[in-house]
Amino acid sequence: MNRESAKALAIGTFGVAAAMSLAMIASHVSPIVGFNAFFYGAFGGKQEIAETLASTTALLFPALGIAIAFRAGLFNIGAEGQLLIGGLLAGWIGTRIDVPPAIAIAAIFLAGAIGGALWGAIAGWLKAARDANEVISTLMLNFIAASLALYLVTGPLRAPDAAGPELSLLPHAYWLPTLLSHTRATIALPIALLAAFALRYVLDSTWFGYRLRAAGEAPEAARRAGISLSRVALWAMAWSGALAGMGGAALVAGELHRFNTQLSPGYGFIAIAVALVGGLEPLTICIAALAFGALESGGLALQAAAAVPKDAIHVIEGLLVFALAARRYLGARGAGAR
Amino acid sequence: MTLSLVLSLLALALVRGTPILLAALGGVLSERAGIVNIALEGEMTAGAFAAALLSYFTRDPWIGAIGGVAVGAAVGFALGFAATRWRVDQIVAGMGINLICTGGAAFGLIYVFNQAGVTPQVPAINQALWPMVVLGIALAAALQWAIARTPIGLRLRACGENPHAARAAGIDPLAVRLYASAIAGGLAGLGGVFLALGELNLYSDGMIAGRGFIALAAVIFGRWTPIGAAGVALIFGLLEALQFALQGNIAWLPSDFLQALPYIAALLALLGASGRYRPPAAEGKPYP
Repeated sequence: MNRESAKALAIGTFGVAAAMSLAMIASHVSPIVGFNAFFYGAFGGKQEIAETLASTTALLFPALGIAIAFRAGLFNIGAEGQLLIGGLLAGWIGTRIDVPPAIAIAAIFLAGAIGGALWGAIAGWLKAARDANEVISTLMLNFIAASLALYLVTGPLRAPDAAGPELSLLPHAYWLPTLLSHTRATIALPIALLAAFALRYVLDSTWFGYRLRAAGEAPEAARRAGISLSRVALWAMAWSGALAGMGGAALVAGELHRFNTQLSPGYGFIAIAVALVGGLEPLTICIAALAFGALESGGLALQAAAAVPKDAIHVIEGLLVFALAARRYLGARGAGAR
Repeated sequence: MTLSLVLSLLALALVRGTPILLAALGGVLSERAGIVNIALEGEMTAGAFAAALLSYFTRDPWIGAIGGVAVGAAVGFALGFAATRWRVDQIVAGMGINLICTGGAAFGLIYVFNQAGVTPQVPAINQALWPMVVLGIALAAALQWAIARTPIGLRLRACGENPHAARAAGIDPLAVRLYASAIAGGLAGLGGVFLALGELNLYSDGMIAGRGFIALAAVIFGRWTPIGAAGVALIFGLLEALQFALQGNIAWLPSDFLQALPYIAALLALLGASGRYRPPAAEGKPYP
C-alpha cells in the first residue's frame, strides 16, 4: 500500500465515522451507544460475523465482475440484472438435476455463470456490433431481467410449492456447506476469494488481461496495435456477467436455497461502489467488500438496536463513492480513460 | 378502438411522459455543456421528496413545488461543482449522488415521519397537472431555440464540444458547466415535483422507478437535442400508457412483457441505431 492510498483510507475511515455519528445524533442516539450496536452487529459474535461474511460474499462476486468491465473501459451498471438471470438459471438447474452434491453445486455455479454471462454478453454484443452505449443497454437489461424472471417464475416455470415469485426449494443435499454451523456464511466466500485471486492473475499476467487493460486505458493505441476492441467488449461483458451470475448462484444455493425474484436487495448496484472503493483491483476489492459487508450487517443491527434507519448506510456509501470520485484514481485505470 | 379511447390513451401518454421529458431536458442541457448526467434519477428523487416534505410542513403545495425544484438544482450544483472544481469522474460521482439521494430520502422518511416507505398525504397541485404538461412541451421548444439560435446556447455548445476553444473565445467553461448542471438538476427536480405533487399527493420510496435513467436514454435517442429528447420521452410515456391500456385485454401477451415494453423498445432502438448517436465531443471529460 503506497502513501496515497493509505492517506485515502485514513480520510475515508474518518469520513465514514463522522457521517455515521451525524446520522446517529440526528436520530437522537448517542454515538457511543450507536457504534457499540454497530460493531456488535457486524462482529459481535458468531451469528453477527456470519452475517457480515454473507453480505461480503454477496457483494464480492458482482464487484469483481464490475471490475472486469470497468477495467476494459465499459460502464457495466447491469450487474443486478446479470445476478438475477444467473440466479434464475442456477435455481432452475438445481431443481432439475439428480447427481452427487459436489457435482450439483458445481453445476449450480456453472449455470449461474452462464446465465450471467449470456445476459452480460447481450450488452457486450450491442457494444461490439452496433457501438451501443453500454450504460443505457445494461440499465435497460436490468429492468428487462426483472420482468423476464417474474414472468418465468409465475408462468412457465411456476413451482407447485412456491409461496411467492419463486422456484422450488433445492434438495437439501445441494445447499452450500456452511463455514460456521447454522449461519448464512457458506463456502461461497472461499469460492469468491479464489475467483478474486484468479482474476488478479488473469488481469495482470495473461494476454487476455493485457488486451482488456489496453482497451480500457488507451483504446486508440490498443486498436492501432491490432487489438479488436469489439472482441474485448464482448468478452469483458460476458466475464463480467459471469461473475455477477455466480453471485446469484451463491445467493440461491447458500442463502435462500431457492430462486426468488427478490433475491437481491440491490447488491448489483452497491457492488459498483465496492468495486470503485476497491480501486478496481481484485484483492483490494475483497477488503472493500468486507468493509461494505460490515456496513450492511452493522447497519441492520444499528436499525434494530438504536432505531437509526438502515438507509443512512446507503447515504454513507454514496458519500464514500462521491469522495472517491474526487481522487483522480480512476483516470489511469480504465473506466475514467474513455 | 373508439376515438375517445385513443384520446384518453394519448392523454395518459402525455401525463406519463412529462416527468421523463422534464428530466431529459435537464440531461440535454448538462450534456451539451459537457457534463454526463447519470444523476438525473437522484435529482428527481430529491426533488420529489423535498416537494412532499415542504408541502407537508408549510401546507402550501406551491412552496413544496418551488422547494423541490430548488433541491434538485442544489443536487445538480453539487454534481457540477465536483465535476468542474474537483475534476471528478462524472459517472462515478453521479452514481454516488444517486445512492445519497435515494438513501437520504428513505432515511428522511423514517427520520421525519417515523414511517418507512411513504409520506402521509400532503397538499398537492393536481390542478396544475395539465399546465405542467404544457410547460414541459413549451420548455422543450424554447430550449431547442435557445441552444441552436442564441449566443448563450452557442456558448453552452462550445463548452461541450471544445472547452479549450471556448476558453480562448473568452467563455469560462467551468462556470457554464456548473450552471448548466444546476439548471439540469432543477428540471429533473421539477420532474420529481410533477410525480409527487402533480400526479399524486405524496412521496413513496421507489416512486421514481428508473425514470431518471429512462430520461438519460431519451437524451441519447433524441440525439442531445431538446425536441428530440422530448419526443422520445413522450414515446416512452406512450409505451407506459399502452401497457395500462393493454393490461388484461390481450390474453396471450403476458403482463410482465408489457411492463418491460419501454425497456425492450429502448434496447431495440439501440440495436437499430448504430453509430448514429454522436455525443458532444468533450462530454464527460474534465476541463482543463
